[in-house]
Amino acid sequence: MILAPEVLAILILNSIFLLFSLVAFVLSIRIFLGWDMDATTQKQYGLEKQSYLGATIIKYIFAIKLPLFLFFIFTLDKISTLLTGAMCGAGVVDATDYGAYLLILKLLNLYLFGFWLTLHYLDIKSPTLPYTKLKFEFFMVAFLFLVAEIVLEGVMFASIDIDKMVSCCGTLYSGSSTSVLGGIFSIDTTVLLILFYGNFIFMVLFYFFKQSHLFAIANLSFILISLISLIQFFGTYIYQLPTHHCPFCFLQSDYYYVGYLLYGLLFVGTFYGIRVGVVKMLGEDAKRGFSLSVWFNLAYVILVTGYVAVYFIRNGVWL
Amino acid sequence: MITLKNITKKYEPNKNNTVTAVDNINLEIEEGELVVLKGVSGSGKSTILSLIASLTKPTVGEVIVNSKRVSKLPDNFASDYRQEDVGFIFQRYNLIPTLSVRDNILLPLVPTNPDEVEARSKLDRVVEQFDIVDKKDTMVRNLSGGEQQRVAIARALINDPKIIIADEPTANLDENLSLDFIEILRGLKESGKTMVVATHDPLFFDLDMVDRVVEVRGGRIV
Repeated sequence: MILAPEVLAILILNSIFLLFSLVAFVLSIRIFLGWDMDATTQKQYGLEKQSYLGATIIKYIFAIKLPLFLFFIFTLDKISTLLTGAMCGAGVVDATDYGAYLLILKLLNLYLFGFWLTLHYLDIKSPTLPYTKLKFEFFMVAFLFLVAEIVLEGVMFASIDIDKMVSCCGTLYSGSSTSVLGGIFSIDTTVLLILFYGNFIFMVLFYFFKQSHLFAIANLSFILISLISLIQFFGTYIYQLPTHHCPFCFLQSDYYYVGYLLYGLLFVGTFYGIRVGVVKMLGEDAKRGFSLSVWFNLAYVILVTGYVAVYFIRNGVWL
Repeated sequence: MITLKNITKKYEPNKNNTVTAVDNINLEIEEGELVVLKGVSGSGKSTILSLIASLTKPTVGEVIVNSKRVSKLPDNFASDYRQEDVGFIFQRYNLIPTLSVRDNILLPLVPTNPDEVEARSKLDRVVEQFDIVDKKDTMVRNLSGGEQQRVAIARALINDPKIIIADEPTANLDENLSLDFIEILRGLKESGKTMVVATHDPLFFDLDMVDRVVEVRGGRIV
């Protein structure tokens, strides 16, 4: 087990999240079972007050979880120096069987909390609170994912053996790797780039034709394609090394922490894109999400393409 | 129209020290009506005013104002309702002593952030109406009780609300100033405002302009 100060901070915060989210979960069950906005009973007025409390707890959990995700990534990088063979956070993720799942779960939870906030925003916009029941039902599901994440995080840090040698990112994210990841990253580069730019062009077309659901689906696929193309292709131009495929190293100071910007643009852009579909499904106006998503995704595409273009202009060759 | 339907208000419900301030009351107040709530201290008058103004929510029952279910409004919408529809006159005036008359009166406009011309026009209207034009720049702590009361009324009316709520408005005034206040109420009544006044001042009970005197005792209307 690793008990670095950063890990301890994460574990303590997780305990606090667990406690408060449990309170919000109990309130959510009560609201789910008893909510009737038309009623003028003591029970309903009580539930209305409790819904404020529940929503406040959930909002604060999210407000802390968002920067804590960045801190988690920072921690992975920091403790990688303690593991033999690890050169960045990728080694720590690979040090146990749970790291990759935890990372995926953390991302999923951020999206889920983001969607919860969307529901909450739509709910409090109307005096009749039309989505209160739905948003707390949604939290009941999100709570299960949150608990899974907290448990998995504890298990992951507990199972890290600092005496065990781990693989570095060069081995993990290469086509020669025998893992499932290896299979994904052995996709032909030309195909991958067609998928990446094609997906983006479709996204822009759906934006112009205001096709909310298709736009949301295009954003969903854009997350996956962008992550693969970033690791397999664009990352090599950031590192200026054709054999270096790592989703963590560009989060380090050597690369001016550009990874945080890249991931930030991608996740915010795709979040707003998927949100468009969710908002439209509820019959609400989704205009703002459309343009925000396109701008963030466009910035991402320009940035990664820029690395390739600058490299080619400077060196006259492709990697 | 203001409707209070089967309203009960308990403070600290489900606890040993529960206080039932209002107990299953029904009340309807027509638009333009002046209703006086009469009763001793602790009878529930102020709680009824707070319920109408959506300053507090009932434990059971419903408050409807001009077809709006104000007791069911979420906090942000309740604030809008108070901002747009209700003017308050408090027993202790609730003015900010370190601000001038002008700033105190303009205070309710702050959340709406109106332009200067609009704010000045609204200010001029109320200071003229209540004869405090020459006091605009005076700090309110330097005003007499009657003048402070006028400032409080001007502040309540700056947004031109449909409903005016006054809680023991003459409790700190002598008889002459109370009569002045009543004259101000008469003017407001003539301009069509709906008014609810909670008081135990006998001056109000026999006034010709009062449409109804409602007696509140032990949280009930008798």
